Amino acid sequence: MGISSEKLREATAEALVRAGSSFTPGLRAAYARALEVETDERSLWAMRQFLENADVAERRTLPLCDDTGIPHVLLEVGELAEFGGAHLGAITEGIAEGLKRLPGRPMAVLGDEVQRIEQSQGLSLHSEDVIPPAFSVKRIPGDRVRITVLLLGGGPEIRAKTYRIFHKHRLETVVDEVAQWGIEAVRELGCTPAVVAVGLGRTHFEATSLMLEAMARGDLERQTPLEQQITEKINAGGSGPLGLGGRVSVLATLVNIGPQRASGVRIASVRTCCGIEPRRATVEVG
Amino acid sequence: MRPVCLETPIPPEAMAGLHVGDFLEISGVIYAGRDAVLPKIVAMSDAELAARGIDLEGSVIFHTAVSVAGVGPTTSSKIEIEESIAPLSARGVRIHLGKGRLKADSIRALHAHASLFAVTTPSTALLTDRILATEIAAFPELGMEALYRLRVDRIPAVVAIFHGESIFEQQAQRG
Ligand code: SF4
Repeated sequence: MGISSEKLREATAEALVRAGSSFTPGLRAAYARALEVETDERSLWAMRQFLENADVAERRTLPLCDDTGIPHVLLEVGELAEFGGAHLGAITEGIAEGLKRLPGRPMAVLGDEVQRIEQSQGLSLHSEDVIPPAFSVKRIPGDRVRITVLLLGGGPEIRAKTYRIFHKHRLETVVDEVAQWGIEAVRELGCTPAVVAVGLGRTHFEATSLMLEAMARGDLERQTPLEQQITEKINAGGSGPLGLGGRVSVLATLVNIGPQRASGVRIASVRTCCGIEPRRATVEVG
Repeated sequence: MRPVCLETPIPPEAMAGLHVGDFLEISGVIYAGRDAVLPKIVAMSDAELAARGIDLEGSVIFHTAVSVAGVGPTTSSKIEIEESIAPLSARGVRIHLGKGRLKADSIRALHAHASLFAVTTPSTALLTDRILATEIAAFPELGMEALYRLRVDRIPAVVAIFHGESIFEQQAQRG
């Protein structure tokens, strides 16, 4: 039997609402670790507010933040699954349905190309008009389909950066550069503590895709030595939650390293996710 | 540290004892606006503001959109928002509430007008019960980016910039 479009639609809507209204267990664990090491009064206050907000949001299924983000979809399709265009349509409808239920902030910009840039025709009144960009698709073993919905807030987008690093074939050069971007970003972001998502690839597109995958799949509970090193370097900057000072500017780092180019250049995509991100949820249908 | 409770309109004497780093709880009627509407408010005359029942003396402006998704601070250093801080302080806004650090010019302008910048966490769910009423005060065509009048109960915040001092610069020097 093929995959039911109706199930895909409902599962996607459910994933979007969960992503927008709850912390993952990994994010909660990262906060718990941070509260243990923090001593600064304002930093503790801010982190407890983030957690209390998440408790209320989860209990009452309310948005974690009024910037409900731009929905992004990571699709993993089993190599034995019968999957087609109608299923893609069902997932798109599921995103719209999830935005209606959450509810998402009605922030789709109206008008033609120029009007959208100038934001001269105002905004749609409908949450569901915020459409996702093209889905990212991967093949996985089996006959099921896995959908991950991510909600990407505007603050981290202002600070995110995809750029080249002349790394002299040394990992330390990459780590130092990424940490430096992170220090600058957490100073400006406002909604910290952050989770730093990093993609390292051959092109800007690949690095950004890897970074998005790090947000979707990265493990906030088990940090690699490389991830810990980046976190520690940024935390040494001392900007703290909301920039008010303290030991914890960054809760965790998620690094995803892809194929690399034969060259003295690495392309890094670094997104300093805010203190409610990654807002993610995964569902499987099949 | 216990929070200082402030009620709008905030009298000058209530501002006098505040310092960078203090915890606040803000209650009463406040305004909410961001990128799209704040430059329009700056451009309005006192008479135009009064015609809409907007009184900025002792007021609080929360840098946020207002929508079915709730409220929460947006980045205050976005150009259109940050450029509103000096002129609106001059016209009586005592507290600009948002997030993120501000430039030296804004720190000086706040100081000149005895106004302050406070930050709050993005606690949309938590704030749901603390926003008692919302209504559009001006420019309804801007949707969630219109100027809103909110009746609020104990919005938590921390004083980030006041008396020419910025908590963000203190961190930068330490870091
Ligand atoms: S940066 Fe994150 S928490 Fe802050 S307003 Fe944007 S989405 Fe919300």
